[in-house]
Amino acid sequence: MPSDLYTEVSFEEKQRLFDQVAADPRYKNYLYGCYECGICVAACPSARFYDFSPRKITQTLAREDVDLFYEQLNDDVWNCSQCFSCNRCPRQNSPGGLITIMREVAVKNGLRTTKEALAGYTRIIYKITTTGTQVSPDMLQEDAFPDWGPQVKEVSDNLDLWRRALPPETLHTTGLSWQVEERTMNELYAIWKMTGTLDMIAELDEGLHDIMEEIMDDAIEESGLLPG
Amino acid sequence: MAKADTVLIVGAGPAGLEAARTVAELGKRAMLIETKDQLGGTPYAYYATLTPDLQETEHSMQEILDAVEHHSAVDVRLNTRVVHSEGSLGAFHVTLDRDGAQTVEEVGAIVVATGFQHFDPGRETQMYGYYEYDDVITLVDAEKMFKDGNIVRPSTGLPPERVAFIQCVGSRDRQIGNKYCSKVCCGIASKQSIEIKRMLPNAKVFIFYIDMRMYGFWEDQIYWKAQEEYKVNYIRGIVTEIIRKGDKLLIKGEDTTMGRPMEVLMDLVILSVGMEPSKGTVEMSRIFQIPREEHGFLQVIGGPLNTVSTPVPGIFVAGAAAGPKDIEDSVSMGASAAAKAVGALKRLELEVR
Repeated sequence: MPSDLYTEVSFEEKQRLFDQVAADPRYKNYLYGCYECGICVAACPSARFYDFSPRKITQTLAREDVDLFYEQLNDDVWNCSQCFSCNRCPRQNSPGGLITIMREVAVKNGLRTTKEALAGYTRIIYKITTTGTQVSPDMLQEDAFPDWGPQVKEVSDNLDLWRRALPPETLHTTGLSWQVEERTMNELYAIWKMTGTLDMIAELDEGLHDIMEEIMDDAIEESGLLPG
Repeated sequence: MAKADTVLIVGAGPAGLEAARTVAELGKRAMLIETKDQLGGTPYAYYATLTPDLQETEHSMQEILDAVEHHSAVDVRLNTRVVHSEGSLGAFHVTLDRDGAQTVEEVGAIVVATGFQHFDPGRETQMYGYYEYDDVITLVDAEKMFKDGNIVRPSTGLPPERVAFIQCVGSRDRQIGNKYCSKVCCGIASKQSIEIKRMLPNAKVFIFYIDMRMYGFWEDQIYWKAQEEYKVNYIRGIVTEIIRKGDKLLIKGEDTTMGRPMEVLMDLVILSVGMEPSKGTVEMSRIFQIPREEHGFLQVIGGPLNTVSTPVPGIFVAGAAAGPKDIEDSVSMGASAAAKAVGALKRLELEVR
């Protein structure tokens, strides 16, 4: 069905992105057909808070409705929490899995709306990709979380002390959620490189990509994990 | 003294054929009356393939046709109609007419299997323009093309790129006067959509529906199959109007599950016309004094537990004469009506002794 959004984008471009999604090897195991029962929406936490429907995503792909697909690729896929509650689908579809594939295609192709949706997450992308851990204690700044109350200032002022008070030694960290073994980190870098995950970031944020690539290349070279 | 050993079966579709075969196999004589010049009824005359397995109709029905035609206890009368009936269980005197030549036959019991006719989309309240636009056709028109092994736009003779089925045409509509569901059209439209995609893999096929009624095994054998293997688009929402736009057809409706109105162009629109009592069914109601139930079909007594006995002793009904039926139900009813008819004659024999 024709969509009145994104009319400036050619049908061929929309079709190209749709074909990329449909060509993903996971696709045929994530999509069978949809009889629009709504169980995925009923189970979906995001649907309670946003104008978001895993059913519509699944329906659109099943219908091969390229115009609506493009609309959802831009406007809907980042509203999913990727919790996979929708996997209870009686037709054995995985709406959440389909969204994973759509997100990857959106990132790889550097969609403007994707850049906008992920702009606030640059630091998290950096952190998780370079350290394997996500939110670190030193991100708990008073000004970042005013709604957490006045004690945040007290905690952040003496963060190092508080962390060292925790029994497991691996949690005596402030820049990382926990201590990560150097070898683990190097293996992680090698995986990001070899699977193309790092390259995905290039279309999203070139600067961020270059910074991370430098860190990883140096570490991998030093570790001797990858030949040449 | 009732002695008639023959069961008259009116109508030689799937229900009548099975009734005739069963009567003969139970040791009575069957007289099978058919107004047309061939056996097989509506499926045989109009449908290239059958649900749910998409086998060719002629091939699928050959076995029962042979069984009936070659059974020594079945007397087949083609081009023959019932014009009058007198008498009662054990001794009905039925007047038959073949090309103006009339005979009176004595039969002990009667099975009416006169079936349905397709709804005439000229009598619609929706504005689909069946008699106005060449490219608006019915399921039956599509089957005619399937028999020739193709599907084209009648206006151009070229294959369509976008095809829409509209469900429930003549069914489930108070304005039209048919409040019932015709049961098989969802399956037939899905079957036809698979056949169209097999012939034209690049065509886009849409089915606009109110509810999909794909009971039992039809769910995965036809519905899921059409959706999953053939990428047929099922869109919940009924088209209100078809308008000619250039050489295409603009259809207007609501995509209800996506929550928005839609206007899209199609090359070919296929109307899923439902079932109404056939002229023969209405005629048999009059001749045999069988009351019609509230939807206009022949009435049965006993609700769900007796699907074949009419209020008239000795007269039974089988198949779509009693309401919308698929072939499996029609055949089951045919055998059931035959067993009950033979049973009624057997009871008379016991009483006579």
